[in-house]
Amino acid sequence: MRESKKKVILWITAAACLVNLALGWLLANTLIVSGGAVGLCYVVLQVVYRRRALRMKVTMPTTTDEVVVAARPVPACGSRQAVDPNDVEALVDQLLAQYRYPLLLRPQIIQNLTESQFRRALTALEEGMALVPDGEVALGRIDEAPYDGELDDRDPDESEVSVCTGQVVQVDRFFLDRYPVTNRQFYEFVAAGGYEKMSLWEESIWPAVLDFVDRAGAPGPRYWKDGCYLRGQGHHPVVGVSWHEAAAYARWVGKRLPTDAEWVKAGSWPVSLSATTRQQRKYPWGDTMDPTRANLWSSGAAGIVAVDRFAKGVSVGGVCQLVGNVWEWTSGDFHTGDRLAEEQVAETPLKNIRGGAFDTYFDHQATCLFPSGEQMLARKHNIGFRLAVGACDIVLACPATAPSAEDAGQTKVSVEEVAV
Amino acid sequence: MTRSVIQPLESYRLAQYAVPVSCYICGSENTFDAEFCGHCSAPLALAHQAENQKIRPHMVAVVGGSAVGKTVYLGMLIDMLSRRPGTTQLLARGAFSITLQQTTLAALARCEFPEKTSNEPDLWNWVHCQVQRSGHRRRVELIMPDMAGDALLEEVDHPHSYRLIRAFLKKCTAAMVLIDAVKLMEGPGEQDYFTMKLVSYLGELDNDPKRGWCRRPVALVFTKADQCDECVADPAAFAKAHAGGLWRLCRERFQRHKFFAAGVAGACIWCQTRSKGRVQVPLRIEPHGVIEPFEWLLEEITG
Repeated sequence: MRESKKKVILWITAAACLVNLALGWLLANTLIVSGGAVGLCYVVLQVVYRRRALRMKVTMPTTTDEVVVAARPVPACGSRQAVDPNDVEALVDQLLAQYRYPLLLRPQIIQNLTESQFRRALTALEEGMALVPDGEVALGRIDEAPYDGELDDRDPDESEVSVCTGQVVQVDRFFLDRYPVTNRQFYEFVAAGGYEKMSLWEESIWPAVLDFVDRAGAPGPRYWKDGCYLRGQGHHPVVGVSWHEAAAYARWVGKRLPTDAEWVKAGSWPVSLSATTRQQRKYPWGDTMDPTRANLWSSGAAGIVAVDRFAKGVSVGGVCQLVGNVWEWTSGDFHTGDRLAEEQVAETPLKNIRGGAFDTYFDHQATCLFPSGEQMLARKHNIGFRLAVGACDIVLACPATAPSAEDAGQTKVSVEEVAV
Repeated sequence: MTRSVIQPLESYRLAQYAVPVSCYICGSENTFDAEFCGHCSAPLALAHQAENQKIRPHMVAVVGGSAVGKTVYLGMLIDMLSRRPGTTQLLARGAFSITLQQTTLAALARCEFPEKTSNEPDLWNWVHCQVQRSGHRRRVELIMPDMAGDALLEEVDHPHSYRLIRAFLKKCTAAMVLIDAVKLMEGPGEQDYFTMKLVSYLGELDNDPKRGWCRRPVALVFTKADQCDECVADPAAFAKAHAGGLWRLCRERFQRHKFFAAGVAGACIWCQTRSKGRVQVPLRIEPHGVIEPFEWLLEEITG
């Protein structure tokens, strides 16, 4: 109402100015002409300011919720056709299309694959996951920021280098997803009836599975509609999933949630300087926050972006978006003990989330070492996940040269069984 | 042994000292070098600034019950608007205006909530700032104090017990009424009743039909919305469902009001501390809906 009034006043002013100009020109009165000209300038300036304000409003940051509401739901994401269980090639194709390549590389089924099928699975693994070497990682405090910034035993001469002798954990060689799990990837799980396959879920959580529904009441992440993600968000990380949904998806694709030590190792890429000291990065790219490398509040992004954005923030090992965009569930339990030196009085157990999100206000809360916690059943707008698989759990050598599952004392499983 | 020294008489200083300074809030006269008003305890720096810079700032009240989150909201709002260039930018006027932002953000960065605001008015943090909005050439001058919730409650229950609160609220152009969404959802309506009292108090403070509180903009902000999804989805519907009395009262008393939801912490837990007992701890800071109520008020104030 107020805006329309302003518009009317502006139009009247413009008309009056034009009349003044015309009248001044007719009467050859410079005073009236200049009055009209000044008024007209004012009107033009007002129009320019309004347009700029409108443009700013359009590009103004919106909450994820608004983005979700504004976007139109995708009517159908497309579903896979049923595959003949006797057609191994088709089954392998399906598993690869569903991003379930780790299942094909399991020692139990690798003997069923031809070399070309094995090569395809290995290529999918290399494209989707990065290898993180084994070694030690410190989970203590290594930087100077509050709560994740104190050294337990710092060398005063090495102030430039983050050196830590905190809690040291040995990590075995493992593969970690290069990107967080996307809506497109998670859709495969939903479309394949992942929410109905109770074997994927812990028995204690079965009553809650019925409550894991989207906006339309269909099984799926909280911000989806009718069992499908919103248009244009296929490459966005899946959010609105609880820890249990992440764990169920992990079981389905043959992976698991990374431990905290694994997550921190992939991001901070520790290098041993001596037997007791090691250098760890605060952020995957180094020790200084750079808003162009991660999607945090300070970067100015409006909300969640596609997983391939902020590519400059890639870790040494080739893992993207470890910091920023969305928090990531890990398998570890959250304890305030070491961080706040206080006793936690939580009603429900919390799981760790790491890496910060697009709305994380403080940069120091998005360092590799900073853990935050969330309830296992929480389905937040800014929490997603990425998965890991132990290098020892998959076979990386060609089936012809790899030891057979029977030789290794394991039961041979057919591709059909895995696919089902 | 005494020594005699020649002290030049700076008569202009005496003359300056002799001129009384009117408190910007209650209008009482004070001596030139007084730090706080002797009558209402408002900082006289506000009066000096107004006099020196020839400005008449708008006053915006941020009110609400105890532990509703006034300090966190105000500190966060100021920090967000002054840190990132957006449609609305804020510049603090005077060093005292940065204290609230500094103490609040320092506490939040340590994953703690700031200390409870003292009931003593001379210990309150005041913010005098200049707000620049894109598309508007004229800058808006604002004064926003961080008042203690207990003091507000005392003044509402026993009018005239806090002269500063009464004088300030009378002169306010607009108000933000903060309501604890979590308590409202869980509790037996205590939050609802206190906010209703506050709203009634405001309405009766200045009931001039043309310039009174019935015509002034009031933003009703549900705080701690991060712990209450229902509130974020539709604040007005949440108010209607969980604070029916307040919702009706606002409709009757305020012609220009709107409900909002805001949250600063991404998640909170309760911790048992050795020094403070059971305290709530923010696990991470993720502000949501903090700027929207302020921008709405600005739009309403400047028309």
